[in-house]
Amino acid sequence: MIPLLLRLLVFVAASLLVDAAAHGAAQPGPVPAGLILVKGAWSSAAGTSTSLPEDGTISNGRYDNAYFGLEYAVGSDWTQRYEGPPPSDSGYYVLAQIEPKDSALAATTGHILIAAQDLFFSLAPVHSAPELIGYFQQHLSAEYRVERAPTRVRIANRDFVRLDYVANVAGLHWHVLATEIRCHVVQFVFTGSSPKSMERLVASMNTMIQPGGSAPLCLKDFATPATVLERVDPVFSEPRFNPVPVRIVIDKEGRVKHIHFLSAFPEQAKSIEEALLQWRFKPHLLDGQPVEVETGLLFGRSARPSTAALH
Amino acid sequence: MNKLLASACALLFSAALAFPGTALSQTDPGVRGGPINGQPGATQSSPLPLASVNANAPTGILEFFDNGLGRFQEQEVVSGGTNNGLGPRFNLNSCSGCHAQPAVGGSGPANNPEFQVITQAIASGSTNTLPSFITAHGPTVEVRFPFFTNSNGSPNKNAPNGGVEDIFTVSGRADAGNCSLQQPNFQQAQQNNNLIFRTPTPTFGAGLIENIDESTLLANQQAQAANNFGIGGAFNRNGNDGTIARFGWKAQNKSLLLFAAEAYNVEMGITNEIFSQERPLPQEEQGAGLPASCLNLSGHGYPEDATNFTVASNSDQAAQNAQVPSDIVLFAEFMRLLAPPVPSTNAPGGAQSISNGFALFKEIGCSTCHTPAIRSTQPSNITASLGNVTVKAYSDFEIHHMGSGLADNVSQGGAGGDQFRTAPLWGLGQRIFFLHDGRTTNLLGAIADHRSNGSEATQVAENFASLSAGQQQEVLNFLRSL
Repeated sequence: MIPLLLRLLVFVAASLLVDAAAHGAAQPGPVPAGLILVKGAWSSAAGTSTSLPEDGTISNGRYDNAYFGLEYAVGSDWTQRYEGPPPSDSGYYVLAQIEPKDSALAATTGHILIAAQDLFFSLAPVHSAPELIGYFQQHLSAEYRVERAPTRVRIANRDFVRLDYVANVAGLHWHVLATEIRCHVVQFVFTGSSPKSMERLVASMNTMIQPGGSAPLCLKDFATPATVLERVDPVFSEPRFNPVPVRIVIDKEGRVKHIHFLSAFPEQAKSIEEALLQWRFKPHLLDGQPVEVETGLLFGRSARPSTAALH
Repeated sequence: MNKLLASACALLFSAALAFPGTALSQTDPGVRGGPINGQPGATQSSPLPLASVNANAPTGILEFFDNGLGRFQEQEVVSGGTNNGLGPRFNLNSCSGCHAQPAVGGSGPANNPEFQVITQAIASGSTNTLPSFITAHGPTVEVRFPFFTNSNGSPNKNAPNGGVEDIFTVSGRADAGNCSLQQPNFQQAQQNNNLIFRTPTPTFGAGLIENIDESTLLANQQAQAANNFGIGGAFNRNGNDGTIARFGWKAQNKSLLLFAAEAYNVEMGITNEIFSQERPLPQEEQGAGLPASCLNLSGHGYPEDATNFTVASNSDQAAQNAQVPSDIVLFAEFMRLLAPPVPSTNAPGGAQSISNGFALFKEIGCSTCHTPAIRSTQPSNITASLGNVTVKAYSDFEIHHMGSGLADNVSQGGAGGDQFRTAPLWGLGQRIFFLHDGRTTNLLGAIADHRSNGSEATQVAENFASLSAGQQQEVLNFLRSL
């Protein structure tokens, strides 16, 4: 009898809590200024906790990104004044925006943008860093003059593609260095009016720590009828028509262990998570051994004619 | 160093301290003078239509434009007049009161018409008070509460609202019967930082925007995809058919007809063939709705604006035809047929400065979102000037994350609380208030507000800050030439 009563009390208490949450429990105080509380399609993650591309940090002039395995020390007199936006629905990330602590120096010393383009979801029809830089150069308008055509360079034991260009009237220079990590093109963009200062920043990349080797194998378009053994389609509660790019990590047994929604409304993420956790893939073998695989899936409406959507 | 030189140096040093990071000379030239919309012949009350409309091609279209212009300026009353249906809640009693700068169809004027609503007895002073944020020369605004409130009046951050809170009620007007309504509690909302503002969007050239095909916008998005400015972008898609919506501060409205109908219902309280019911406030909608004493105040039933099945005969067939459509149809037609503003080639600052400013505008990345020219509109089945033309609106019609500094925490369609449509810049030279809430009249402030945490435009604003004072002035001159 007592256990039954206890269970009843617990049930009632839990119901009240759920009810309070569902109806928005009173939160005292004014709306905080400068916070984005009502979000549209946004990034989130589910499954096994692991680092995300957008999770980099800047501290004491050093940018650390566990997902890409990057550690880039610009200098203690550099900082990030403003964080970037969330990932776009075409897989574009603003990873860091770094500028001199002394904003008066920014005009001459320049500023740094570290960005990444997910090669699974790119709007531009590109598959590699050289192709992305080439695509960019093709679309460079007449206001700019190329100072260094795309060139392969070796920095911190990694291959980069470098493109330099200058704006004819502004006199601002851009040095763009792009490399591929985990099926992303990671781009270091230096902007400033003094090529000499900017060259020093480029040189500082040599101290960058290169990516570690423990990341899953990334494979574009891995999910095919040949590899997907069991599949459950997500059921969306309402039509949204936005593309929902999703990165997943598949474990050695073929189960989805990690889901990264680059851009999804909460109800979309919930439906996709419920479905993906039921998917089974054929384990991927490398040298005869099963390995973890990271791949991309596009749900919702595709904005990219060149990319086949699942729905 | 003599004393004079020392004094001059000290003055310069003081100025530099007072304005860190800015040089001394660049200033917003302010509202450009000269012809309205850059169009000789245009007046404040008579903006120009598209060229083919002006040529009355097809026959009769000019009459529809003129009739629409007239209806856009009509003063509405609650009942007993020629134009009935105002309220029971409203922000103003005409379209043209808010859409007034530099001409009918434009944005908010220098003299805020909302400030005069009580003094001109459009709303009764015995039952309405003017909120403190409505000022004589401040921006003309609509008000929204981002969140519903708890029973104690505090904002409930788990309950997003975002609907328009009309400022005035018809209560106390002689033509409003016994309707008794309270205004929203603006003071409490202001104390709780739970209100945001939106200014009227200008509608010149709106027909061209409406007539851009999806494929053209998608191709433009793809062309801008590889940029080095940190810019992403997305489209706000219509929830019914999935196509790109393009009107309103968050690109939440699909068409001019929908836009007109919603504004007629929300801003003036006039029901119509798209929005057929009186609109309660969001919090009223969650309760019992509007009281019966505030319904059908016109006495003619609903919708208050409807197709005119019987019109007076007129020897001018076109004039007779133009009387038939409902107001919202002719509002939409008027906006659709308005000519886009014509930029100045030499003011302010001279042709060379404007030309340099345009180049700088493109070079530093503004044009990645503020696309100078979208080629081209679809063929038009309405009038020749709407078809196969380049749209020099300076917008990609995408929504972009604009960061915590501009976020209003209002979600509309696919746009979240920090996402806004790239505001078209054509006609900017003669606008007074900038950004969605009209927070500034200074272009420098508007540009600076493009950077904040989470904004896609931070890099571009940084690039602007990297320009010399002279170059910044050229950008400002260019912007005010539009």
